[in-house]
Amino acid sequence: MANISVLSTPSAARPARRAANSRSSVAHDRLTVLLIFLPPALLLFTLFVIMPMGEAAWYSLYKWNGYGTPTEFIGLRNFQVLFRNAAFTQALFNNGLIIVISICIQVPLAIWLATMLAHRIPGVVGYRLIFFLPYVLADVAAGLIWRFVYDGDYGLFAAISNFFGFANPYVLADKDLAIYAILGVIVWKYFGFHMMLFIAGLQSVDKSVLEAAEIDGATGWQKFRYVTLPLLGSTLRLSIFFAVVGSLQLFDMIMPLTGGGPSNSTQTMVTFLFTYGVMRMQVGLGSAVGVVLFVICVTLAFGYKRIFMRHD
Amino acid sequence: MTDMSSSVRMRTSTRIYLYVSLSLIAAIVLVPLLTTALGGFKTLGDLRTNPFGLPTEWQWTNYTDILFGERYWLQIGNSLIIAALTVLLTLIVSSMAAFAFAHVRFFGSSFLLNYFLLGLMFPAATAILPLFIRIRDLGLLNTYWGVVLPQVAFGLGMSILLFRNYFRNLPEELFQAAFVDGCGYMRFFWHISLPLSRPIVATVSIISFVGSWNSYILPLIMLNSESKYPWPLGIMVYRGEYGTDWQLVLAFITLTILPTIIVFFVAQRHIIAGLTAGAVKS
Amino acid sequence: MASVELNDIRKAYGAVDVIHGISLHIEDGEFVALVGPSGCGKSTLLRMIAGLEEITDGEIAIGGNVVNAMTPRERNIAMVFQSYALYPHMTVAENMGFNLKLAGVAKPQIEARVSEAARMLDLATLLDRKPAQLSGGQRQRVAMGRAIVRNPAVFLFDEPLSNLDAKLRVQMRSEIKTLHQKVRTTSIYVTHDQIEAMTLADRIVVLNHGKVEQQGTPLELYRKPANLFVAAFIGSPAMNMLDGTVDGVNGEPAARLEDGTAIRLAPDRKVKAGQAVTVGLRPEHLIPGIAAGTPLAGRTMLVEPTGAQTHVVFDLAGQQVTAIVDGEYPARYGAVFEASIASDQVHVFDRGSGVAL
Repeated sequence: MANISVLSTPSAARPARRAANSRSSVAHDRLTVLLIFLPPALLLFTLFVIMPMGEAAWYSLYKWNGYGTPTEFIGLRNFQVLFRNAAFTQALFNNGLIIVISICIQVPLAIWLATMLAHRIPGVVGYRLIFFLPYVLADVAAGLIWRFVYDGDYGLFAAISNFFGFANPYVLADKDLAIYAILGVIVWKYFGFHMMLFIAGLQSVDKSVLEAAEIDGATGWQKFRYVTLPLLGSTLRLSIFFAVVGSLQLFDMIMPLTGGGPSNSTQTMVTFLFTYGVMRMQVGLGSAVGVVLFVICVTLAFGYKRIFMRHD
Repeated sequence: MTDMSSSVRMRTSTRIYLYVSLSLIAAIVLVPLLTTALGGFKTLGDLRTNPFGLPTEWQWTNYTDILFGERYWLQIGNSLIIAALTVLLTLIVSSMAAFAFAHVRFFGSSFLLNYFLLGLMFPAATAILPLFIRIRDLGLLNTYWGVVLPQVAFGLGMSILLFRNYFRNLPEELFQAAFVDGCGYMRFFWHISLPLSRPIVATVSIISFVGSWNSYILPLIMLNSESKYPWPLGIMVYRGEYGTDWQLVLAFITLTILPTIIVFFVAQRHIIAGLTAGAVKS
Repeated sequence: MASVELNDIRKAYGAVDVIHGISLHIEDGEFVALVGPSGCGKSTLLRMIAGLEEITDGEIAIGGNVVNAMTPRERNIAMVFQSYALYPHMTVAENMGFNLKLAGVAKPQIEARVSEAARMLDLATLLDRKPAQLSGGQRQRVAMGRAIVRNPAVFLFDEPLSNLDAKLRVQMRSEIKTLHQKVRTTSIYVTHDQIEAMTLADRIVVLNHGKVEQQGTPLELYRKPANLFVAAFIGSPAMNMLDGTVDGVNGEPAARLEDGTAIRLAPDRKVKAGQAVTVGLRPEHLIPGIAAGTPLAGRTMLVEPTGAQTHVVFDLAGQQVTAIVDGEYPARYGAVFEASIASDQVHVFDRGSGVAL
C-alpha cells in the first residue's frame, strides 16, 4: 500500500530549503485531504445511519407518536408487548422459517444449476442470463407479478387447477399456505444470484485437480462429493450468509402478495414494523422492533464471520 | 489445454438430461414474466379464460393508454432522478473517503473504517422510524433528497470498501513517480486515482443504481405526494386503484420492468459482474 | 508393469490435425521421454495415453490390452501433473490414499501403503500437513507418492519439474531417476527440457508439430541426429549451424563455407559434389589450438566464463560460432581464436530437407 508520508522525511540529497518546504507542504496537504475528503461521508453516515440507530434504541423506551419530543418513558414495556404479541412472534417465526427453507432449497438448487452450466454446451450463456433475470427485478415488481400468478380468480394457478377440474385455489388467502407461496417467490427471485456465486466458486476449482481425481478412479459423483463440494466451502458459507441477511429484510415482496396477512400469518419483522410501527405512528414500538432486528443482524454478522468465515 | 474434448465425449443421454432440466427451470422463470407481458394485451375476460396463450384479440389500448398518459413517465422520471442523484453522490462521497483511507495513514483510520463497515451489518429498515423523524425535522420529507440521502448513507459501507480496496491495489510506483514529480494528494486523486478507477466506478454505480431503482420501503415512507412517486410505489398505487382489472395492472407492471430488462440484456456482463462483485468482496 | 503400444495415433480438433499418425513401442519397465518444443503435441499424446483426451484415430494398448474405450482408472495408470494437482483440502496422507479409498481398499492397508510410499519419498513427517503448507519440492514428492501408492502399470509425467527453481529441479531429477531404478515401472515423461530427457530417459522420442522426428537412446540422438531439428534440439549449448556447399579438397569431401573455409567431412557421409548443405559443429567438439582435423579461426566476440568451462563466441564465415573450452583457457575479447574439429565429428545435413547425410 502506498503511504504518501514517505515524502515527509526529506532525503539528504535534497537542498535543505526545498526539504523544509516539501515537508510542510505535504503535511499541509495531508491535513487538507483529511479535512475535505472524510467529513462528507462521515456526516452523511452519522446523520442518517448511526444516529437513527442510536435514536431507535432511545425511542424504544418510550411511548410516542412522533410529534414533539418523546415524553412518556415506559422502559422495556415495548419489548414486553412485542414478545407477547402474536403477530410479532409469528413474524419472528416466519423469518426463521424463511431462512431455513430458503437455504435448504436455494443452495442445492444453485449448486445443481451451477454444475449443469459448467458444461460447455451451446446456450449456456443464455440460460445463465435467464436464471439471473429475476434477481435484477425489484422485489415489489416480483411480488406483484406473483400476486397475479397466485390469484384465485384470474391467475395462472387458477387456470391450471380449472384445467384439471379442481376448484379455484386461493393460496394467498389460506393462512397455512400463504407463507409457502411466498417462499416460492423468494426462491424464484434469488436462486439465480446464488447460482452465480457457485459458478464463480466452481471456476476457482483447479481443473487439473479434477483430472487427478479422474485418474485416481473417481466417478462423476465421487468427484463432486470428495473434491468439488469440499472446495466450494467458502462459497457455500457466503451463499448462506446472503440468504440469511436477505431473509431478515423481507418486506418489498410481501406487501404486494399478502401485506402480512391473512391473519398475520405472513408477517416478517419488517412488515410488522411497517404495519404496527409506521402506519400507526407508534414510534416507540416500531423502534423496539428495529432494535430487535438490529441485535439479530449484528449478532449474526459477527458470529457468522467469526465462526464460519474465519479462514475465508 | 482447451476443453473441446469434453463436449465431444458427452453422451447424448447426458445432453438430453441437461437441456430438459435447464429448459424446465427457464420456463418457470419466464412463464410468469411472459404471461404478465402478454396479459397486458388481453381483455379481462380473455385473461381469465386464456391466461397462457396469445391474446385472441390484441388490445393495444391497455399499453398505449399508459404510455400516452402522464403518470408512467412521471414515475420513471422520478426513479431516474432519484437513482442518478444517489449514484452521483455515492461516487463522490465514497471515493473521497476511500482515498483518504487508502493513502493517508492517520490516527484512528482503522477504527473509522470499521465505523463505516457497521453499515454493512444492518439494513435501513431497522432505523426507519427515527430516520423518518430526522428527515421530517430536516424539512426533507416528500423531497427527492429525503430518499437520496439515506440511500447514499446506507450504501457508504459497501462503496467505501470497494473503492478503498481498489485504490490500494493500484501500483505503488505510480504514486512514487507522481510524488517525485511534485504532485500533491488532491491532484493525485483527480489526475491519477480517478481516471484509473473506471472499473470500480462502474461496479459501484451499478450497485447503487440498481439498489435505488428498485427500492420501495424508503420512498414509501419518505414521500407522500403521488407526483414524486418512483415506479415501485407507482405500481402499488395502480394496483390499488385498478384492483381486479388485472389486464391493466399487468400492462403497467410490464412497462415499468421493461427498462430494467432491456438494460440488463444490453449490459449483462457489467451488471452481473457488478452485482456479484459487491457480494463477494464484502 | 506393462508395455505401452501406440499404433498410428491421430488427434484432430475439428478439421485441424495436431497429431499425425504416431506409432511408438515402449518396453515394459522402460523410461521414455517425450521431448519437443511447445505445441509439438507431447502433452496431448500423454493425455491420450492417460485417457484424458479422446483419441481421434489409432489404438493405444497397455499391457497388450487396447485401452481406447477405457476410463483412466481402468487403464491402471498414474499421472504426475505439472501443477501437481494435489487436493488442497486433504492432508498429504489423504492425498496419497485417495485413490485406494476410492478403490475400496481397507483402511489399515491404505495406511500401510501410504506410509511405505512416504518413507520412500522422505515424506513421513509431513503426512498431516495440507498442500498449502508444503514447499514446491515437497508437493512434487506428494504428487509422486500419490502415483506410487497405486502400483500402476505405467507412470505418466507431464512436465513435473517445470514449476521448480533450477537447483530443486536438478535435485528432483535425481530423485526421479533413483525412484525408477528402484521401482522399475514403465514411465513416460513429457518435458521441453532436453537435459532432463537426456539424464532421465532410457529412450527419447523427439516430437515436432505432431510428428516423431527421431527416437533412440540419448547418446544415439546426440551422436547421430537424424535431422537439423533434432541436432539443434539436443545438446546445450546448441550445435552451431553453418551453410556451405560440398566440394572436394585434396580428394576428400569437404564443405566449403561462404568465406571459403573448407571443413573436411568424414568419408562415409553421403554427400554429392555441389550439394547445398548445412554443417553442424558441436561447441564441445571445437578443440582450441591446432590438432588433427579442420583448423578454424576467427575473432573472439564474446567470452562467457562459467567457472569450470568458458564459452567462447567467435566469428566464422560471417556467423557467430560458440565453442566450449576449459576454464583455464586464456580467452580474450578481440583475440584470434583458433580451434580445430575432427572430420568424424562434423555433422552435415542437406540444406533443403534438413536430413542428416
